[in-house]
Amino acid sequence: MSNEPTTDERIREMVSTNPVLLFMKGNRQAPQCGFSAQVIGILDSFIPDYETVDVLSDPEIRDGIKTFSSWPTIPQLYVDGEFIGGCDIITEMAGSGELFEALGVEPPPEIIPKIHLSDTAAEALAQAIEQTGTPGQFLKLSIDQSWQPNLSMAEKGAMDVMADAGGPEILVDRMSAQRADGITIDLVEGPQGRGFKVENPNAPRMGEMSVQTLKQMMDEKIPFELLDVRTPNEFETARIEGARLLDDEGYNQALALPKETRLVFICHHGPRGESAASQFMAQGFSDVHNLVGGIDAWSIEIDPSVPRY
Amino acid sequence: MSIEIPGPGGVGDVTEEIRGSILEAIPDAEVKVTPGGPGHFEIRVVAPIFTDKSRVKQQQLVYAAITHLMSGPNPPVHAVDRLDCSTP
Repeated sequence: MSNEPTTDERIREMVSTNPVLLFMKGNRQAPQCGFSAQVIGILDSFIPDYETVDVLSDPEIRDGIKTFSSWPTIPQLYVDGEFIGGCDIITEMAGSGELFEALGVEPPPEIIPKIHLSDTAAEALAQAIEQTGTPGQFLKLSIDQSWQPNLSMAEKGAMDVMADAGGPEILVDRMSAQRADGITIDLVEGPQGRGFKVENPNAPRMGEMSVQTLKQMMDEKIPFELLDVRTPNEFETARIEGARLLDDEGYNQALALPKETRLVFICHHGPRGESAASQFMAQGFSDVHNLVGGIDAWSIEIDPSVPRY
Repeated sequence: MSIEIPGPGGVGDVTEEIRGSILEAIPDAEVKVTPGGPGHFEIRVVAPIFTDKSRVKQQQLVYAAITHLMSGPNPPVHAVDRLDCSTP
């Protein structure tokens, strides 16, 4: 059974124009199947940028890709137009380190990360290991490119190192090792009960920017993106020249910016900007700021011609 | 081993169809197909053509031979739980 030429051509076009392309169910933010989610997790820890195709939203591609690749299952990874494999193979290649070469990225340096554990956290971890672990398994910490920590139980793979945690055995994969070096894990009481709190000194922090600094950056023509998270009505009423409204279209355009772009978020008084800023940090942006006092502070302190409301 | 699946054609037919399709594509192969749950199969193929080929390329050769049994709205083969390819 062969493809209609159009489907085949469409797929060929996709794999030849995107250096790293994953055919999957759902998308990077919301995978719709466990296998796709697993591969997204791996790719996120290896490379910052890649493209995905959601086969659920395109039945023609969903069937066509199986014939195109001679591979019956989704997800499927293509690098430079070449089929690399499905979930099992990618997981295996990540564990052995072969995936670095396949994706064309330099393996990170081999370092032994130092982890500070509070006494209560060490005790709780020991208990958790005893309850859920099977022999041969260790507690494993990974920290992805968006600085999200994740704890799981796993066997030691070729790409894992044993962290220096002052006693307890904690595995860290080599991709995470640099990001994990120097972190503190504490046990805290929260509204949902006890939980681990991970403090990471390596993670970028959200900047609090004053309206004076913003004005100075504009005067000195320092490049940045000013993202306005207010409603279109508020934007019409009062705005700072050069700001981009973060409606659906603006949001997607902003997400596609290079991850090192300096982003400044602005709202009416500050809180909405802060919440949008954290969302963009979770997506891997590292130079993210919130304008303290919002557009109201701008009207009062910098430019009275911008109406207050 | 006897496992029954609903619908026309028993497990035996599908097992034979898989075997036959692979042999048509790779005539000098040694093929063993074992049915698992309904629509699930384990396949073992030994063939000289696999020599010096990556695991992905080996499996692609086999999958290409049986794609027609795995596509469409209600395919006789839902999943290949295990596919072992090796050289004699």
